[in-house]
Amino acid sequence: MTERFTRKRSRHVALVLAGTATLALAGCEDDRMDAQSFPDLESCIAASQQDTLWFTEDDCRKNFAAAQEEFLETAPRYESKELCEQEHGVGNCGGDPAQTQEAQNSGGGFSFMPLLVGYMMGSMLSRGGGIFSQPMVKTADGRFSTPKGDQSFASNRGTGKVSAATFQRAPSTIGKPAMTATQVSQRGGFGASATARSGGRSSAGG
Amino acid sequence: MEKRTLPERPGWRDKAQELGFTFADMGGEPYWDETSAYRFTLRQIEDDIEDPATELHALCREAVDRAVRDEAWLTRLDIPRQHWDLIASSWARGEPELYGRMDLAYDGSGPAKLLEYNADTPTSLYESASFQWLWFEQQQAAGVLDADADQFNSIHEAIVARWTQICADGEELHFTADPDNPEDYATVETLAWAAREAGLGAHFTPLSQIGLTEEGQFADDQSRVIGTLFKLYPWEDMLRDSFAAHLQASGTRFIEPPWKALLSNKGILPLLWQMFPGHPNLLPAFFLSDVQDALSGGSPATEVAQAFEAARETLARGYVTKPIFSREGAGVVIHENGDEVARTSDDSYSHHPMILQGLASLPDFDGFHPVLGAWIVGENCCGLGLREDRARITHNLSRFKPHFIEG
Repeated sequence: MTERFTRKRSRHVALVLAGTATLALAGCEDDRMDAQSFPDLESCIAASQQDTLWFTEDDCRKNFAAAQEEFLETAPRYESKELCEQEHGVGNCGGDPAQTQEAQNSGGGFSFMPLLVGYMMGSMLSRGGGIFSQPMVKTADGRFSTPKGDQSFASNRGTGKVSAATFQRAPSTIGKPAMTATQVSQRGGFGASATARSGGRSSAGG
Repeated sequence: MEKRTLPERPGWRDKAQELGFTFADMGGEPYWDETSAYRFTLRQIEDDIEDPATELHALCREAVDRAVRDEAWLTRLDIPRQHWDLIASSWARGEPELYGRMDLAYDGSGPAKLLEYNADTPTSLYESASFQWLWFEQQQAAGVLDADADQFNSIHEAIVARWTQICADGEELHFTADPDNPEDYATVETLAWAAREAGLGAHFTPLSQIGLTEEGQFADDQSRVIGTLFKLYPWEDMLRDSFAAHLQASGTRFIEPPWKALLSNKGILPLLWQMFPGHPNLLPAFFLSDVQDALSGGSPATEVAQAFEAARETLARGYVTKPIFSREGAGVVIHENGDEVARTSDDSYSHHPMILQGLASLPDFDGFHPVLGAWIVGENCCGLGLREDRARITHNLSRFKPHFIEG
């Protein structure tokens, strides 16, 4: 093939549109790792009996313990149950197990946390790394997320590929003041304008 | 420039589905149409489209520089007064632009004419940058196109390079649009993949889910603060939404930057004509209110009288009226020799101020009228996407046509 001296087209392009149905824009395609989620330790152990997998019963135990500990250290803490439920759904919040009676008595205010509803393990074994884990909590729209809350997943049970960033530890919340309603006070202030259209859904582009 | 009938790639519809190009057919009509393609010579591409479009973008920047410090122009462009400062400071800070699409009338000879510049929220980016490229590579591999043929389409690589220029290494970006509109979302995704390729983080949040923190920052659907936001949502709407009051204090960097509100506004066309009268790639353009009387024998507004007289003959042959804000051909009316000859049924934008522009008739190829979309990335033209329509006014159901360079 003869090539023009100056080529007018790209040597490669990005061809695939993943669409909104996926988490395509929440994680990076080329940094995906194998991951598996479990609602509890028992289901992980049961899965580990199949010897084709990348984790053992021992990995289940170690990572579950690590996820529990990390949950206590990094799960979001709210000053009221209502606020917690607004972020994680009704019935998905409880008190802060790390809080001692003394702390409360000394006027430290009681905080509320989402409940631990499982954990996710990820494998970096293919890249010479180990196995990582993150605790899982519910989201307001009925999905599941890690304490960082930057990605959500449809289920707390299943196998998939997730971005390595999923396993980055969230900032510590233990011993910090509980969050007030300052997080997000309003939504939906964009998109209502009708410079344009008198009804109907139309492209914002052109 | 010619239209050439070519065999379609076997199974391209399945391929489109597989790639997620779900809107290759819209409203029961083919949107992507490869039963024929437009051929250009390299000279036509470089001398008649690429270089003039790059130059037009430079002229547009000069026009922004003028308008941004001129209250009369800001008023004419219908920019809400409380946001003049937002726009002026974004220009003064030199906030960089990402992309835009110029719609040009061109028939293969003579200078291409700028019909309008969608410099804020152009769509059809995926079709232009990716699917059209795939068509070319596959047709060349199949021997349908010559080995030394080419395509004016370095859009993807130009966008990747632009992201690296205008963002810090590893910067996290947010992208927003209406997720229920597949065309809009595809355009956002195309830009987001390029951002990823440039080493940036890309996160999508639905437009309706953007929130405001108590500190007055914008936050995404997961309550993370938005540092940089690419929005496929026009500035004229952003400036009028309930969150508009928080734009400036939010600290969010917007892409396109606020000064693009001046460019993606058809009121820029009369300004360009005032600043660069007679430029070969511009059509005479005026605010309709300045020349309405003059069209029916009266006098034009004093400040445009001379320019109007100079353009009178051209306008007598034909002119178009359109609202300063509109999308996809809405509100466009064509007049020839004093008579209205075409209008779009959609007049949902027609309560806005109107402009009048000399008529550049689109050429006719087998009963279809192609309009050229010249893609600007950064400050340079880097690719082409054609749409054609049976009607004389291109609208959102017009067909996308691939092109190639030969000779």
